[in-house]
Amino acid sequence: MTPLLEVVGITKHFGGLYALAGLDLHVDEGEIVSVIGPNGAGKSTLFNVVTGLYEPDEGEVRFQAESIVGFRPNQITKLGVARTFQNVHLFPNMTVLENAMVGQHCRTRSGVFGAIFQTPSTRREEQLIRERAKAALGFFGPRLTGYRQEQPAFVLSYANRRRLEMARALATDPKLILLDEPTAGMNPRETLELRDHIVRMRDELGLTVLVIEHDMRVVKGVSDRVIACDYGRKIAEGTYEEVATDPQVIEAYLGTKAAG
Amino acid sequence: MRRRSEVRASISPGVRAGLIGGIALVYLAMVGMIEAFDDLLLIGEQVTLGLVLLAAPPFAAAFLAVRPRVVGGRVERPAPLSGLVIGVIAGGISGAVIAAWLLIVEAIGVERVRSVFVAVSPQLIEILTFGQGVAVGTLILLLGGMALGALGGVWRTLRHGLRLPLSVAVGAVLLMGLLQRIAPTILDELSVERDWLYSKVTFGLTWLGAVAVFVVTASVTAFVIDRRERAEARPPEAGTPQGRRATRTVLLLALALGLIVLPQLAGTIVSEILGSVGVYVLLALGLNIVTGYAGMLHLGFGAFFLIGAYSAALLTGANLVTAFGLVAPEFSAHLNFYVALPIVIAIGAVVGALLAAPVLRLRGDYLAIVTLAFGQIAAILVTSNWLQPITGGPQGLRDVTDAGLSGLSFRDPQDFYYLALAFCALAAYVSWRLASARTGRAWNAMREDEQVADAMGVNTPRYKLLAFAIGGAIGSVGGALFAVKVGTVQPGSFEILVSITTLAIVILGGLGSVPGVVVGALVLIGLPGLLSQFEEYRLLIYGGVLVAIMILRPQGLIPNVRRSRELQEDERTQDAWQQIFGEPEAEQEPAAEEAR
Repeated sequence: MTPLLEVVGITKHFGGLYALAGLDLHVDEGEIVSVIGPNGAGKSTLFNVVTGLYEPDEGEVRFQAESIVGFRPNQITKLGVARTFQNVHLFPNMTVLENAMVGQHCRTRSGVFGAIFQTPSTRREEQLIRERAKAALGFFGPRLTGYRQEQPAFVLSYANRRRLEMARALATDPKLILLDEPTAGMNPRETLELRDHIVRMRDELGLTVLVIEHDMRVVKGVSDRVIACDYGRKIAEGTYEEVATDPQVIEAYLGTKAAG
Repeated sequence: MRRRSEVRASISPGVRAGLIGGIALVYLAMVGMIEAFDDLLLIGEQVTLGLVLLAAPPFAAAFLAVRPRVVGGRVERPAPLSGLVIGVIAGGISGAVIAAWLLIVEAIGVERVRSVFVAVSPQLIEILTFGQGVAVGTLILLLGGMALGALGGVWRTLRHGLRLPLSVAVGAVLLMGLLQRIAPTILDELSVERDWLYSKVTFGLTWLGAVAVFVVTASVTAFVIDRRERAEARPPEAGTPQGRRATRTVLLLALALGLIVLPQLAGTIVSEILGSVGVYVLLALGLNIVTGYAGMLHLGFGAFFLIGAYSAALLTGANLVTAFGLVAPEFSAHLNFYVALPIVIAIGAVVGALLAAPVLRLRGDYLAIVTLAFGQIAAILVTSNWLQPITGGPQGLRDVTDAGLSGLSFRDPQDFYYLALAFCALAAYVSWRLASARTGRAWNAMREDEQVADAMGVNTPRYKLLAFAIGGAIGSVGGALFAVKVGTVQPGSFEILVSITTLAIVILGGLGSVPGVVVGALVLIGLPGLLSQFEEYRLLIYGGVLVAIMILRPQGLIPNVRRSRELQEDERTQDAWQQIFGEPEAEQEPAAEEAR
């Protein structure tokens, strides 16, 4: 079976700094794969290359066996790859609902003339966008529903902003969702809740998940497979237990913890 | 020790504001605005616009110096006494500055100062001393400043429910005074007895009229505020969307009816002015799509004004001015205006998109500079020798068609008013529909964060092109209307002014707000048109207004209504939500979970 996402030997450097130095990885359909590694290991650069924000210097990115190198970010989103950002990036002055509705943009097609003349198909589509956006917001329970949907995004609490960002990604109807440190800055309870959400994304929505995570409880709890990176290369791969006991990983990533 | 530093901390803003107010006064006096505006009587035989201008800086300085205190994240009204003290200080210093300036001028001699500052005339000194001589005059300035400062300081400490009606009432009286060329005509036309309101001698409001306007507007505003507060005290479900929609429809119909009847009552001057306002509303609605919706600063939007004007002139047939008299340009079609207009719109859209193509990768400042250059290039091209056989070069084009629909003439202010009104309504409708549609959301997302919009599936280059094209199309309609209104297309150095004015309208009204655009155009184009005194100081007023709006109300006069309302309602809805559902955010320490 061809993997859903396949990254072959990608290299990306900024000046003399190699953020990615020949990284290989693959994600099969229905998997939850965690990427771990110390800060500066190239994890976020990997996401940026996969989603088309950066173009790799070398190597190949294939989604559903099709090369997506050189595609614009919006084309990649349309193919079914959605993402969140390490530092939450919402549309702060748009309402919560509008944020999620933007996610539906790539699945819909009505344009200027439909909007001006309010054609029946435009109205139907607008209704559909609204419903789907609400469904995506509803994934997180009551937190992003009700009166909150009409609030501008900037009034949300930090945890809710993170949830909204994920809901917006879900609203693009993706096949693969890339989560960049989804639990960063969350308190322990929110972190555990989010762990369940990640599992539910696969079990209920049928998504494939690629997640960058630092919180080892989350990594342990969700991952089918863990990939450890350092200096833009893969240094270990396998189940959580295999990777966590790998000497190279301990040295690179957990080394500080062992030393402390 | 601590008390003294506290007192100093509360007084120093007053001193600073007072100095700024005083400098503003000196400036207004020295550029001649106070004198120029002194012949416009607003109320009775005493209150002139010049006097209002003289009184405004101390009042504003005191008002701004008295800052509300923020205690624990809550804004508290300042105490009346401290408001009074700080206000008196600020106003007094403003008065002292202008009084000191007066003494210096007297010491040097008015005529000698005048040889450098032409506006410093004996008449100005007469106005500033209230005709009482310098000694008494300085005293009046000082005491008057203190009194106005006290008023301004106390004004700030008033309860919102009290301050707003009073402010609205003062504004209404001033506006009625400024409208003295229009309002009496309308009242006469309606055969309403108006001698008690507007004097036939001074043309301004009578004292009785001013008091009546004040009382009526104050009580109406107070009533409306009271009703709104009561409506808000009720649970949110009470205000049904249908009820709101019905009121809105009624209001819109009333507004439309008023706009249709207005020129019949108010006469041709008003139609003439509103026609110009209409041209700028179209330009500003176009720019509003590019800058307000899509967030791309465009400093050369006047180019679309030129494009619209020239293409309308050439498509409907106009003449060049040459040394041998009037000749037809090398290219001209003789189309009916309404046949030509869709072509003009298409040209505007195509040129807009062509401009967008090279700047798709640019953002912010860089984009602004390129668009600025674009405006200049357009202005230079049309006056160039190269295009002279078509555009007429510096002389421009004449004899643009004046034939409207059967029997109507574009040169007639009344007829043109309706034409402009129709197109403005159309453009406003298009803007409004786009804003709430998928396209508008994509623009908004792009404005908020271009890279993220891209990552969420918005094809940003495409939507940039679209914004430039639609903005250009709407803006060029404004240019086309201008061409047929005036009948000539004369280029000059005014294109950059058109660009700046259009941007000022959009910013003043509130970026992305359609009603804001209309209000902005009425304030910046309509008011100066009404008062000949404004004309000379138009740009100074624009600059002052823009600086003031950026500092005091950066979201514009009429910002996106829905959102600002939500912000105010947040607290209340949140409370209601919590009562019904309990607080979903209430986090307990997950002891059991944590232990794993």
